[in-house]
Amino acid sequence: MRLVVKGITVTLGSRDVLKDVTFEVEEGELLALLGPNGSGKTTMLRTIFGMLKPLRGVVLLDGKEIGNAEEAARKLGFLPQDTPLTNLRVIDIVMLGRTPYLSGLKRPGDEDYRAAMEALREVGMEDMADRIFSELSGGERQKVMLARVFAQQPEVMLLDEPTAHLDIAAQIEIMEIIQNKVEEGRAALVAIHDINLASSFATRILMVKDGKVAYAGRPEDVINEESIRNVFGADVVVRRYGRGVYIAPKPKVPNGLKRVHVICGGGSGREILHMLRDAGYKVSAGVVNVLDSDWEVAAELGEVVDEAPFSPISDSSHRKNIETIENSDAVVLANLSFGRGNFKNLQAAMYAANLNKLVVMDKTPFKERNFVGKEAEELYREILERAVVVKREEEVLDAVRKLLG
Amino acid sequence: MRFGTAVTALLALNILALMLSLGVGSGGYGYLFQVISGNADDTAMKIVLDYRLPRYLMAIIAGASLSASGCAMQALFRNPLAEPYVLGVASGASVGAALSVALSMETIYSRIGLAFFSALLTAYVVYLIGSSSKFRDQTYAILLAGVAIASFFSGLTSVLIYFSAQSMHKVVFWLMGSFSNPFIEEVLFALPITIAGLAYLLFTSWNLNALLLGDEHAAAVGINVERFRKSLIAVVALLTSTTVAISGVIGFVGIIVPHTMRILVGEEHQKLLPSTILLSTAFMPVIDVVARISTSGELPVGAITAMLGGPFFLYLLMRRSV
Repeated sequence: MRLVVKGITVTLGSRDVLKDVTFEVEEGELLALLGPNGSGKTTMLRTIFGMLKPLRGVVLLDGKEIGNAEEAARKLGFLPQDTPLTNLRVIDIVMLGRTPYLSGLKRPGDEDYRAAMEALREVGMEDMADRIFSELSGGERQKVMLARVFAQQPEVMLLDEPTAHLDIAAQIEIMEIIQNKVEEGRAALVAIHDINLASSFATRILMVKDGKVAYAGRPEDVINEESIRNVFGADVVVRRYGRGVYIAPKPKVPNGLKRVHVICGGGSGREILHMLRDAGYKVSAGVVNVLDSDWEVAAELGEVVDEAPFSPISDSSHRKNIETIENSDAVVLANLSFGRGNFKNLQAAMYAANLNKLVVMDKTPFKERNFVGKEAEELYREILERAVVVKREEEVLDAVRKLLG
Repeated sequence: MRFGTAVTALLALNILALMLSLGVGSGGYGYLFQVISGNADDTAMKIVLDYRLPRYLMAIIAGASLSASGCAMQALFRNPLAEPYVLGVASGASVGAALSVALSMETIYSRIGLAFFSALLTAYVVYLIGSSSKFRDQTYAILLAGVAIASFFSGLTSVLIYFSAQSMHKVVFWLMGSFSNPFIEEVLFALPITIAGLAYLLFTSWNLNALLLGDEHAAAVGINVERFRKSLIAVVALLTSTTVAISGVIGFVGIIVPHTMRILVGEEHQKLLPSTILLSTAFMPVIDVVARISTSGELPVGAITAMLGGPFFLYLLMRRSV
């Protein structure tokens, strides 16, 4: 089974809503349509179903054009975006999926009833057949609507934002149901807003912008900062987790503000870096090892003086650290542990203390995080004498503010 | 309530309503029993067959037409307050009837004829305006056009009544709705139209379920929504124009009866529509009997249904969901 969309152009009013759109879907594929509001996703689904006639181009299912509305409904399961509330029972709604198979007086038979119940079972709602639709939760309603589509036994499902307005658990459940159905040998074309959800479930992604296909391909190839900026006009940070992605807004870079350097490592700087960054300071961190959790945070939020993974701080890194400290308006010594490898960080803190711009976050007793010995203990005591000392993360920001006047 | 139980109970009610309708009146049940037992004199035959039977038939025609049309309109507009007259049929018919009197066309047929055609014409105009408007949702545009045209025509009717005050009492009484003394010819005119219209609605009741989910969902299961909406509106216009031309404006039946059955058998139209029709064919003759016997003269049926309709509306409002 193969659905071919070839060069379709759709005009609504005087506007070209779709411009020369071409793509294909085969069985076993879950194709996600991503794009901003008004990019033409819904129009695309309506056109494929046959509700809108394209000005140019053609939609072919297995090489043939789809016939009238009834034939379309047997082959294509179209789920519009919004469903009005009704007091019909669940089973009545799912039975509507049998409409294209009924003729004459449209009295459904046993076979239709079985198909409807099977569809309800596939969405896990077989026990709710007699419930009133309007009394269900949002997620349950959407499952009923999916069951209606399944009862049509379509080859291709055209689903317009099936996860809109649902909570996260329901979104995942709906996408899993669709995925299972696709794996049985159907195809699905799903318009969706959630990029994370799309890349977790789609086998392929079509990014649509202004009625044109801007990017098409596997999620891992298509979803990146550049494509999202081009299609959605949003600046984001893209992180990958296996096949899925996590997308977060990219922090705006403040210019001409004060710089705060954080001496950290092992996750001790994470919260402080975020807090300072959110308060509008330009942040840097050092010296931290590459792959250290603080390194990741610092790299995302600002500059970082780093060292190779699992290596002691080299003299050159230490020099760079001192340089950064000199260029910073304030320095924070986080609640980190010290060993031989990062003892130079303590010396750097002493350097900052001597410049009268050090805030120390002294939460855990130093004894418990000192793996160097007496030498470090004495140095730390000296540092405390010359620095502003706070006991909790929340106080760091205030201390920095006071220090900077 | 199970559908079978509901139908059985409704059939029993219908028989009761028939007995009441043919039995109650001056002379009482005596005439009816004479007719049934086959030894009736001319008076009995005349009263039961020429007077009470047409009246009963007209009541069930009006009841079935209005309640089935109301049911269909509530599905089409997805609005529990939609009624058979949303297409402007009632006000259109009123203008026609008032016009016939204003133009001194005094026969009953000219009044019925003018009312019928102006009602149909109004529905057509409402549909044209509504469906060619720039509104994104055509269905609601039709609803709004109906409201606008109805208010315009009811103003026009008032003006017509004002200028020919003397001869207008007939129109005013007709406006309030009544089954008093219909001619058998009127019944014979209305009966085939009603049967055909109801048959259409019953045959397409499955599609009404789909309309409840919205036009797009209906199209998604293969229904040609545009064509169905057109024919639905045409059939409802025909049914209600016929009824209103003969019996005047009987309000609220199209709302009370369908909603009562929704509470009892649910929203599914293959069950809802037939049971709505059955309830109305029992309800309307009984209301007519009340109208006949409650005063020495006769109360307008429309007034009684309106008085029942108001409180029923409030009841619907107090319920959690409509």
